[in-house]
Amino acid sequence: MAQPFEGPLSTEYIGTPLDLFDDEKAWVVKWPRSMEHHHTYGMLTPFFKGLTEGKLLATKCVNPKCPHKSTWLPPRADCPDCYARTEWVQVPSEGKIYAYTMLDYTGIGIEMKAPYWQIDVEIKGVDTIFKGFLLRGKPVTGLPVKAMFRTKNPTHTILDICWVPKED
Amino acid sequence: MITFGKGNLRVPKWSKRVFMVAGGCTPFRKYFPEYKLEELVMIAYKMMLEDNALKLSPKEIKDSIQYCAYGEFADHFQDQLLCEAKIHDYLGLEPMWNNGIKTGGATGGAAVLNGAMAIASGYANCVLVAGWERMDEVDTRTGNFYIATAACKDFETRMGRIYSSYYAPMANRFAEQYNLSEVTRAKIAVKNRGYAVSNPNAQQPGRHTVEEVLASRMSAYPLRFLECCAMTAGAASVLLCDEEMAYKLSDTPCELFMAGGTHTLRVADRRPMEIPLLPNEEPGQYDKLLAESGRWPGFESFLAARFAAYMAYRMAGIKDPLEELDLVELHDAFTISDIQTYGDIGLRPYGQEPDYIESGDAYFGGKCPSNLSGGLLGTMHAVGATGIWQAAEVLWQVQGKYDHFHGLDRWWKRAGKQKPADYENLQVPNAKQGLWISHAGVGSHVTCGILRKAW
Repeated sequence: MAQPFEGPLSTEYIGTPLDLFDDEKAWVVKWPRSMEHHHTYGMLTPFFKGLTEGKLLATKCVNPKCPHKSTWLPPRADCPDCYARTEWVQVPSEGKIYAYTMLDYTGIGIEMKAPYWQIDVEIKGVDTIFKGFLLRGKPVTGLPVKAMFRTKNPTHTILDICWVPKED
Repeated sequence: MITFGKGNLRVPKWSKRVFMVAGGCTPFRKYFPEYKLEELVMIAYKMMLEDNALKLSPKEIKDSIQYCAYGEFADHFQDQLLCEAKIHDYLGLEPMWNNGIKTGGATGGAAVLNGAMAIASGYANCVLVAGWERMDEVDTRTGNFYIATAACKDFETRMGRIYSSYYAPMANRFAEQYNLSEVTRAKIAVKNRGYAVSNPNAQQPGRHTVEEVLASRMSAYPLRFLECCAMTAGAASVLLCDEEMAYKLSDTPCELFMAGGTHTLRVADRRPMEIPLLPNEEPGQYDKLLAESGRWPGFESFLAARFAAYMAYRMAGIKDPLEELDLVELHDAFTISDIQTYGDIGLRPYGQEPDYIESGDAYFGGKCPSNLSGGLLGTMHAVGATGIWQAAEVLWQVQGKYDHFHGLDRWWKRAGKQKPADYENLQVPNAKQGLWISHAGVGSHVTCGILRKAW
């Protein structure tokens, strides 16, 4: 059975004293936070792996009893309409711009140099609309675009796909 | 085309009527180092107990509370899990049960709805609803990132790390589909920030011009800084009762009708759906609009808001919202989300939303003014408190207490401000009924509450 440590103890402070902002009304201390998460892509792993291989993968419900049999991009492993397990399908890596915005002021940790165009892409055969960014050119609603994939030095994130005007 | 199950469309029917009798809030600021979080909540709670002409003493009311619903948006901001326990203890309300409520930007509304359910079910006859957010521990860009974690971390957050970028594509789409000009959007910022000048608690009051709004710095095109709400530190609370307790406590209680709706977190995942029709809409009314836009709600509208209003209007027996509501408080986190909501809650038919502003209906003195409180753009968005504070502002209007809660020198002094020479008493004459919308994500959760004069 484990026992509490019984030897001689000399307890020491090993932290780093906090910086103090001595406001007139109250003390405010600078409290650093830093952490890492180990985040799983779970059953969507083939999607992110697909990007690094130049493939755009969606999931489709193939349950004959499903009322909608939707094709999902972003993919989802389980159909929300009938709860069947979906199947992977490769979808065209081209589409049309449905909406767009230019990012100027961004949040901390942004991995893209601002400003840049963020676009929402309608893809034939896909029931949802897919968010991404435009590598070059200027977006217009309805503009045909094609996907490009970061197969070399991938980021292992959604940033491994981007779009360019189709007639580029 | 997604349709809804018959059972899913059942209108909520509460077992007991629900009433709201009192509200309180702190001043709202970007940075509030004078007070710890629980001290801020105490300020709002005490204002609720002491300044609403309640007929029992604060101690007697404290001794009457049986349940608390607490709203807090993000543990990230507080950097403290189980804040609810700290606050509950600080307010001295053990051992009564509390629930912590989290539904993004709609957290405040969701907390009120949760408290109302406790009354309606008979679990309690006197319920405290309180909410808070302290968004001042981190700098603005870190705060923007924290908020953007309320987008999908796998497919959206990395695309901007700021929430305006998830609304901006909707603004562009809406402008093209429904002929919305930037000027109309800017007018909303001018209006709400202007009303905030008369709110002693407002964080961002200002007499701006349309030109100033459009010239302000771009956040995500086409949304400018002055079209976006700020991050706030502050708290708010309201008191809910059953019928017997409501009249025991107050000579001016308001009856509450309330429901909520939800939709995908990722806007991208919205599939084309049927439009649940409000009582003042006709089948077939939107056939042409659907043929042109291709899908509803698309990026133009919010199913969650439509569903919440669909239910709440039926609960309250409201047939024509524009005619029957005397005022509304909408979730104007961004000018575009404000405009989108006009169609969802039937202030205008879909496709004609900008007319609610252009007609003058939305202004003080208009048919159904919106955000006389200053809204989120002018006054506050301390997220967990927001939907609760909005409810208090509607309550005070229906009680005829706008001037009491905004005009008295003591409130200006409490906020460390001078009452401005251009203060306006924005009391809606003979207000009998008002609505507020609490809204999350890019339309992931929306509550619709209606307060009706009950004396």
